[in-house]
Amino acid sequence: MGKNLPGYFGEFGGRYSPEILTEALEELESTYQKLKKSKKFKKELEYYLRNYVGRPSPLTYAERLTKQWGGARIWLKREDLNHTGAHKINNAIGQALIAKFMGKKRIIAETGAGQHGLATATVGAMFGMETVVYMGAVDVERQNLNAKKIEMLGAKILPVTAGEATLKEATSEAMRDWALNVSTTHYIVGSAIGPHPFPTIVRDFQAVIGTEARSQFKKQNKKLPSAIVACVGGGSNSIGMFHAFLKDKQVAIYGAEAGGLGPKPGEHSATLTYGKTGFLHGTKTLIIQDESGQIVPAHSVSAGLDYPGVGPEHAHLSKIGRVDYRMVTDEQALDSFLEVTRVEGIIPALETAHAFHVAREVAKDLGKKKDLIICLSGRGDKDVTEVLRLLGEKNK
Amino acid sequence: MSKIKSLFESGKFKSAFIPYFTLGDPNYNDSIEFGKTILDNGADILELGIPFSDPVADGPVIQRAVARSLKNRFSFDEIFRVTKAIHDHKPETPLVYLTYFNPIYHCGISKFLDRAKESGIIGLVIPDLPFDTDESETLFRELKARDMDLIHLVTPASEKKRIQALSKTSSGFIYYVTSFGVTGERREFSVDLQERIRFLKETIRLPICAGFGISTPDQANQISQYADGIIIGSAIQRVIEENGTDRSKAVSALADYISKIRAAIS
Repeated sequence: MGKNLPGYFGEFGGRYSPEILTEALEELESTYQKLKKSKKFKKELEYYLRNYVGRPSPLTYAERLTKQWGGARIWLKREDLNHTGAHKINNAIGQALIAKFMGKKRIIAETGAGQHGLATATVGAMFGMETVVYMGAVDVERQNLNAKKIEMLGAKILPVTAGEATLKEATSEAMRDWALNVSTTHYIVGSAIGPHPFPTIVRDFQAVIGTEARSQFKKQNKKLPSAIVACVGGGSNSIGMFHAFLKDKQVAIYGAEAGGLGPKPGEHSATLTYGKTGFLHGTKTLIIQDESGQIVPAHSVSAGLDYPGVGPEHAHLSKIGRVDYRMVTDEQALDSFLEVTRVEGIIPALETAHAFHVAREVAKDLGKKKDLIICLSGRGDKDVTEVLRLLGEKNK
Repeated sequence: MSKIKSLFESGKFKSAFIPYFTLGDPNYNDSIEFGKTILDNGADILELGIPFSDPVADGPVIQRAVARSLKNRFSFDEIFRVTKAIHDHKPETPLVYLTYFNPIYHCGISKFLDRAKESGIIGLVIPDLPFDTDESETLFRELKARDMDLIHLVTPASEKKRIQALSKTSSGFIYYVTSFGVTGERREFSVDLQERIRFLKETIRLPICAGFGISTPDQANQISQYADGIIIGSAIQRVIEENGTDRSKAVSALADYISKIRAAIS
């Protein structure tokens, strides 16, 4: 493997995982290359996306938000309306079909906010596969509704108590499980992270978001939007949203990452702002780390953004300046969560609320008669308890 | 010829004993004592673990050791100081580092290798740096220039083509992973372990040492009949863990365990 070979995005990406996983990753890569070209696979994927997930998801004009913000016209790409309530199902369906094709009867996943765990448990139930979901013990608490749903679907949740007991540790534990059971198990990586070919596979399955949004917008408006915005943790909804627009130089692209409580190490998950090049979970990317190369625990009010790394393609897009990544604090995200809920009648996921905050800034800068699409990556039912708790604390 | 390879060819032993422990658990000064004890009781090569916050190839025992170590402030100065003290105690026993790639990359490859060499290190094992990466090629070149070894891992899943390709950038010895999964004690090993090791010996002209899961004298004895070396990590780390911060108790338990394993390897 070298920098000019598939698997790298500029200097980032590659395959830096334990040797025990190499053969499985190579098998996955060659299977995926074959399936990508297969009409039968494409047809099957499209069937499930249309008839099970509910695609295409609508592109909704947000009239009240447009008025409230007083700038560009706001459009929402409604991934919250997918079955299971988030974009994660697009990838889970695709990877479950790959697993089925490879004859693997067991699937595992890591999850932060629980949306990817829920999506994996759902496809596990639908395809009749044994499913195990690794979730940080802290996240099991703060995303309890999703944890309960995962179990109800017949999947096993294994809470991870090591370290900060969040997404990073859940990812490490899923990798260890895969190393042990690699011949029977497929690891459905949930974000555009991990060793090659995962960042590419996840990107390709999520690219449906941007492809649909682009053509829906063009059909309705006979032009392209001026800007698009999505939130970035590992970065799967955002890379899915961005991909179809990357070559449209007239479309400005913004990513919203978790600024947490502030700029001190341990208080945020702002990898693209504060991260340095390094190696984590099988990929070379930007990582929040200390002066000795130890990974610094991340923090975000949203469990799904609480990760000290980022997908390597985002690291590349940041480096070449194609995407403008901005930080949003916990408090700003919480304010946007409440605003969107009250103004538009849509409860967004706390992850997505970060994107709304950046969108508000961008909409103002763009001014009227311009158009902006926000990827509404997921719904916020899962966050209601946590938001109420945080509001209670704030009002004390 | 590399120092490690020549040690294997010297005929000093039939099968080498290669213990591992994590530096800094429970603190750096205890590590010096543990290192000396292990050397005094029969290590042929000693693997010193540089802790990394996210050790994905390691099982629970070593994960806990790393977490305890990182409760102390991690610093490369401390790592090299401790390494030098262990090396000075018995300079004739080769020392190698086992760590993940991120800390090395962050330190800077040249700087890291210069300081590691000054401290007495003559080889590296990096579980998350596959041989077919640009970084591995760079590292191999830099190590070779310093007469140091890059010890690669081969697993039960590694295919023939990959093993052949890997031998070009491997030196010292091959770390053969006895079973699927991560480090940690096991009752059983894959059934074809002996055959795989024989195949590797024929394919790669390097000593083949087996690790991952070995903990008892019986297992060590059995595998030493056909492997060039036995690597034990988690079981040693467990001895350290079970004795908590009681240094003298840990030292005597380590001496006992190491000498038993050494005696079992023929």
